[in-house]
Amino acid sequence: MKTKYIKMTFLYLLLVAGIIVVVMPMVYMISTSLKPNGALYEFPPKFFPQLSEITLENYQFIIGQGKFYVNFFNSIFVSVTTVLIAAMVASAMGFCIARFDFFGKKFLFIFILLTMIIPGTTLIVPQYELAVKLKVINKLSGLIPFYIAWVIPYSTFMIKGFVENIPKELDEAIYMDGGSVFTVFFRIILPLAKPGIASVSIFNFLTAWEEFPWANTVINDNLKRTLPIAISGFFGQHQFTQWGYVFALSVLSLIPILLVFIFCQKFFVAGLTTGGVKG
Amino acid sequence: MRKGSKCEGKTSHSLIERHAKAYERGASASMKKKTMGNKLQIGVLLLPGLLIFGIFTVYPIFKLFIMSFFKWDFGSMLEQQFIGMQNYKEVLGDTYFRTSFVNTLVYTLVTVPAQMILGLLVAVFINSIAHLKVSFRVLYYLPVITSWVIASLVFKYIFNTEGMLNYFLTNVIHVTSQNIRWLDSRWSGLSVAMLLGTWKGIGWNMVVFLAALQTVPMELYEVAGIDGAGTIKKFFHVTIPCIRGTILFALVMLTIGGFNVFTSIKMITGGEPGHQTDTILTWMYYKAFSTGKFGYSAALSFIIAVCLALLAALQFKLMKNNEKG
Repeated sequence: MKTKYIKMTFLYLLLVAGIIVVVMPMVYMISTSLKPNGALYEFPPKFFPQLSEITLENYQFIIGQGKFYVNFFNSIFVSVTTVLIAAMVASAMGFCIARFDFFGKKFLFIFILLTMIIPGTTLIVPQYELAVKLKVINKLSGLIPFYIAWVIPYSTFMIKGFVENIPKELDEAIYMDGGSVFTVFFRIILPLAKPGIASVSIFNFLTAWEEFPWANTVINDNLKRTLPIAISGFFGQHQFTQWGYVFALSVLSLIPILLVFIFCQKFFVAGLTTGGVKG
Repeated sequence: MRKGSKCEGKTSHSLIERHAKAYERGASASMKKKTMGNKLQIGVLLLPGLLIFGIFTVYPIFKLFIMSFFKWDFGSMLEQQFIGMQNYKEVLGDTYFRTSFVNTLVYTLVTVPAQMILGLLVAVFINSIAHLKVSFRVLYYLPVITSWVIASLVFKYIFNTEGMLNYFLTNVIHVTSQNIRWLDSRWSGLSVAMLLGTWKGIGWNMVVFLAALQTVPMELYEVAGIDGAGTIKKFFHVTIPCIRGTILFALVMLTIGGFNVFTSIKMITGGEPGHQTDTILTWMYYKAFSTGKFGYSAALSFIIAVCLALLAALQFKLMKNNEKG
């Protein structure tokens, strides 16, 4: 019994030590954002600011700038629109692939798998060409459809899996009662696949919220920027980076993600594990 | 247990199928009248997704392939010229490409096993404790939801020549007397990116492996215990074989992720010094958007895409064989 206690204590200690290493960079970021922005690199650097030093001046500066609200709104608008449209479109596709045979289904499925494999950034050159042709450079409409297309494969694949777990008899009962494909989709599939759609949507939100390479390529205009490019924009040549501002903005931009994460934890895990266990 | 539940699944499935067939016989008459309408409705459901996916993803894939055979310079878009395999030759003969390829390979070979081993360890530990499971899980998952841009900047700040780490090394534990220029040389710059990739990936692996550990039947551990196996023996002879499927799944996903590394390199070193720390994607991006060589970048992208598709196909095949055996 005694050895078991020692073993358990040891496990907890190891886990706590791991947590300290894992969380340290985040804590350092927050503590830097609370320090006065005077010195570029303070000497000696302190992990925690002294209590008397703690200041919100970095946050005040960021919030005092009008463009913060614009960038924040842009990020919210792009992410929410992406999530909503992707949820509708991918549920419909996932349902059709799970339940019906149609012309080109195999072909479509191959492309869905293929695009889950190849890195999204490899398509950046032809996509940029397309964006130029469609005249959506420097516009939020240059982000949203690309993001939706980007998350469709994974979302469809996951939702198809969820739909396959819904018993087919439910569909049959609706058809017997004279219902149509639409009735089945809206009355049976959507309500029952809701947890699956929710978990996929959380991941889509994360993806759109933090996307950097594409937004950085398409958007130049200060007022069209989403938060990730606004953050990287702060950080110009290395010598003149004002880290206090950079990290204050970073902390602010992490808040929505943390809220989503805290309130939707169970969906998070559900989304991950379906893929994991099936594999 | 896993095999058992699979079998159960099959029997109940065939029962459902029999029921479904009986239903179908009854329903077929009324269904026939409706098929045209239903086909139309299926089309309506599929159309928006197909359009968006087709225009913004599938079309660019074909376009990428075509562009890779052209001299396609950005800015002079009118003078596209078919040059056959010239772009491919140029890519493969390029020493910068080779450097970036080696960097990407090293990045993947280091970060994938590192994340998997650490993630699995954390999962096993969390799985065997009684209290605070959820708190640990949430805290270890935090780096995963931190965006790449932010995480990269934090690491850049810590590893900067005047940063926290150097202060710690020189003035607190006195390992060196001079600040180390972490970000100014190839392997130390890449190491910072690899450290970041590992740090950010542990949480994902932990969650995936935690789920897999739930599927390992307790009886197997008991039997192994009776046979006198210790904790470590149990881990290698019971746990690992039982979660083989998940290990392969994680391997596929992480390999794809490793080749996808872009934002961290771009933010932390920017490929400096002299493209020594570029990965294939940052090098591709540089060629496209800093020098305007769209054709070159298209050929390079196509090579990466094909390599990854083949690699993933191979890994999926391994996975299938594994399920059979």
